[in-house]
Amino acid sequence: MYEAVHASPDGDATVARQATTAARYGYDGIVVRTRDALAGSGGDAATPAADAEAVADEYGIDVVDAVEIDVDGPTAASGAVGNGRSEHTVVCVVGGDDRLNRYAVEEPRVDVLARPNAGSGGFNHVLARAARDNGVHVEFDLGPVLRRTGGGRVRALADLRKLREIVTYYDAPYVVSANAASHLELRAPREVVAVAAEAGFDPEWVREGLRAWGRIADRNRERRSGDFMEPGVRRGRYETER
Amino acid sequence: MKHLPKHLRPRWRYLAVGIEAWPDAEIGRRAFQRALWYAAGNLLGDAGSADAGVKLLSFSFSGGAGEAVVRVRRGHVAEARAAIGCVSEVDGDPVGIRVRGISGTVRACEERYMGRAAGSSTQRDVAFAGAERPAVVRGDACDVRTESGYVGAAAFDIE
Repeated sequence: MYEAVHASPDGDATVARQATTAARYGYDGIVVRTRDALAGSGGDAATPAADAEAVADEYGIDVVDAVEIDVDGPTAASGAVGNGRSEHTVVCVVGGDDRLNRYAVEEPRVDVLARPNAGSGGFNHVLARAARDNGVHVEFDLGPVLRRTGGGRVRALADLRKLREIVTYYDAPYVVSANAASHLELRAPREVVAVAAEAGFDPEWVREGLRAWGRIADRNRERRSGDFMEPGVRRGRYETER
Repeated sequence: MKHLPKHLRPRWRYLAVGIEAWPDAEIGRRAFQRALWYAAGNLLGDAGSADAGVKLLSFSFSGGAGEAVVRVRRGHVAEARAAIGCVSEVDGDPVGIRVRGISGTVRACEERYMGRAAGSSTQRDVAFAGAERPAVVRGDACDVRTESGYVGAAAFDIE
């Protein structure tokens, strides 16, 4: 099972700390959604950038470099997706506004629509169908359920329930995450599943959502490898490097 | 009052809980018990939390790490686990929390899952993000003090 985390400078813990905590909690890997947290993705001197493979070797856990595109509108998002796609394994677009949600689910280059209910954004059958057709995973963000109280949490739970009903009806792909900004916000998979089960989710469905991050990473790594031509076509053994 | 015959006594499960926080956090037993009750009450409701019967039996915390034994009514472990997962802060200090394991007796719980905290913490200066900064090091974990509060790092980052 994988978890998608934020790391320094976006969060309060470095990639290595998130990795060691996640390894202790029993995750198979983490998806680092902060653009500058991993080397090779433009980390500057002020923020310690770690090499994903070195961290992975050190702690025995898969570290996937990802980018979270958080912009104001579809036009800006489109440019950022184009840049991010070639540089990162997983591309997430932060939703939270109707136009951005719509853009993200209609763009096959996007892997994950993150936090679709965060702001004023809504989700409906049109978006669910588009997400299914374009293979865009819809994120179920359990962060507010784990960390907020009172009215905000009730609204988050209500939104999650509505999203679940739509997504399961149309069989759209999905991912589940606790959206941890530091190692303290990270929760072990069993805890995440238990909390989601209290919120009305099916435990196996939630585990599947946690595994989906790993599947996205595997698929994209294969696509980005040199042997990949197009789906179903790989470079054979008679082909030589020129 | 005379205690109940054995077949009428409630059966319990004991959860070993690991707690983590920033080094400057002061978490007391009462505050943690209150956070636990509120988390259970908010997530499970009054009826659900009464059913689960979450109670803190033992608690220790120092230098940003701690552990606790939580007693839960048998058959309500899943609910209790969810409530424990929802404890995100105690008295305003953010905490990381995890259920290490479950036992049928307090003794087994302590022998199997407790007392494995990553040693004592030491304070020293480390090289982090291009500067020497004060940090609290505990095993592999290393909490570095920066201008904007603590940053969680690991031994990997400060070498």
